[in-house]
Amino acid sequence: MVIRSLFLLALGLAAEIALLVQLGTSPGVILVPVALLALVQVLVLPGRIYRRWGYDMGDEQLRVLRGFLWRTDTIVPFNRIQHIDVAQGPLQRMFGLSTLIVHTAGTHNSIVTLPGLATADAEAMRETIKGHIRQDMI
Amino acid sequence: MNDRSASQPPDQNAPFRRLHPLSIVLRSIGTLGQNLFAIVVLHFSLLDRNFLHSGLAAAALIALVIGVTALIWSRFTYQVTAREIRIKSGLLNRNNRSIPFDRIQDVSLEQKLVSRLLGLATVTLETGSGGGEDGQLDALSRTDAEMLRDTVRDYKAGLDADFAPDQDQLAREDRPPLFAMDNRRILIAGLFNFSFVLLAILGAVAQNLDFLLPDDYFDPRYWLTVLPEREMIDGYSFWMRIAGALGAILALVTVGLVSGIVRTLIREYSFRLDKVESGQPGFRRRRGLFTLTDMVMPMHRIQAAVVQTGPVREYYGWYHLKFLSLAGDSGGETDHSAAPCATLAEIDPILEHCAIHRTASDLAFHPVSPAFWWRSAIIVTLLLAAGALGTGFYLHRGFFALILLALPIGGYLFLNWRHHQYALTDSQLFVRSGWWRRRLVMLPRRKIQTVEVSQSPLDHPFALATVTIGIAGGAAARPLRIKDIALDRAMDLRRALVNSQNRP
Repeated sequence: MVIRSLFLLALGLAAEIALLVQLGTSPGVILVPVALLALVQVLVLPGRIYRRWGYDMGDEQLRVLRGFLWRTDTIVPFNRIQHIDVAQGPLQRMFGLSTLIVHTAGTHNSIVTLPGLATADAEAMRETIKGHIRQDMI
Repeated sequence: MNDRSASQPPDQNAPFRRLHPLSIVLRSIGTLGQNLFAIVVLHFSLLDRNFLHSGLAAAALIALVIGVTALIWSRFTYQVTAREIRIKSGLLNRNNRSIPFDRIQDVSLEQKLVSRLLGLATVTLETGSGGGEDGQLDALSRTDAEMLRDTVRDYKAGLDADFAPDQDQLAREDRPPLFAMDNRRILIAGLFNFSFVLLAILGAVAQNLDFLLPDDYFDPRYWLTVLPEREMIDGYSFWMRIAGALGAILALVTVGLVSGIVRTLIREYSFRLDKVESGQPGFRRRRGLFTLTDMVMPMHRIQAAVVQTGPVREYYGWYHLKFLSLAGDSGGETDHSAAPCATLAEIDPILEHCAIHRTASDLAFHPVSPAFWWRSAIIVTLLLAAGALGTGFYLHRGFFALILLALPIGGYLFLNWRHHQYALTDSQLFVRSGWWRRRLVMLPRRKIQTVEVSQSPLDHPFALATVTIGIAGGAAARPLRIKDIALDRAMDLRRALVNSQNRP
């Protein structure tokens, strides 16, 4: 989100300068709204999105909720999972977090990711799911 | 499922075999065809139209191509063991691939025109692993290819692959097919396969041959200046001009129809669908005029059935039956065509074999929310209004008429809404969609992989949601969706779908 906002700010700045040179508009006509939007993106949205992120390990299925404006709510039955990854990026490693990635055979939603789990949790979940994977479900 | 391998000694020292030697010829012809053009270009440019030099260059090219192809051929070996097929290939980068029979989705034999003359067939093993070519043996002799196919097919049934059931095969040939298309049926299918592909090809040819035409042939301004000067056209009466326009439209339609029929004929000629009885039960499909394809798909790999039709086709009672599976059909199609043009009475017995049932006539389909059409219609109308106002004020007043487009688009959306329905039975989910391209997906509930309920920002005020169902097959870009139903109904539907398939 921070990266996206910086990108937006850069775009806004370019547009601002272009307009200033070409049309001689008053300064700030574009930069101010863009900065506001970027501020919203950095301050408000991450919290909202974080609050919408959720997962639920049922007995038979994994449920993943995500998104604030575009909400999705996915259920993956354990016995449909083909294989599981536990991945860590450099930033995640600093905070001891992991991403759980489950792969299914479906052409839609073939990869369901669940980021920001504590590494120990992610590994425990992997073990649980592993016990449910049966052979050749397709 | 692997008990069998324990009881049988794993056939690890089966001989490594090569492809049929004639496949060198086949491959070389293919490669030469692409490079011949280069020789022709060289003949005119670098070699100063000297036939001796060009001939030498061509001979060198042919020798090179055949040499390299032969080298590749000599380094390509395959081994069929009791449980898997291994393919070793590559000149410098050796690649050793093993494909377990368990993972093979379908086996298809393909014979292009040249292969048919040489008695060869290309075997393609599909595992559904994303990438296009999973295992391709290009090419084996026809009998070897059929033997390999039968080995894979019989693997699960525990039949020994060594005795090819020849009598069995012959007996099956005599049995009536599940579905076949005669030439009359192909003609009908072709009529509905109306396409402008031929027109596009003609257009492309015209583009490339444009040095034969006047310079500004494709420039409308050229015609605007030329046409009014032609006394000939001005001389015609009003009705003659109408007739001319009608004639042009008729010509277009004829071209579209003919190209549809020709394309269908080439692809579907002598279409025949059989049931495979021995080994794994499944379907066997043969078709093609020039390129013969012969594909076997096991029954348990079929994920869902799709019945497609259109408003006119449905009126005359013709439907197109397709099967979804992880493996795609040849020619880039994602679904396996099982009956391109059939009546419902013909489709039912086919479906009967794969334990998918068509809707009972009294089954009540649920409609989706009317917001499905009016919300889109409002957005389209607003966009059109903005466009009409913008262009109308700044360009020409005639552009105000743009807003009238909202009516047909709204009507189309409304019809689409009327045709988007779903129904749930004990064992299957039915989803109907589209007015012009009518699709009925029949999905056994135990084949569902994932279920997702999603809401876009526009859905929140109406508490609507879209249910997307992940199936192991079909196009990723066009998944099975039930759009715009009430959120609580979506949740109920999902609960039902997920629960039904957790029971083994």
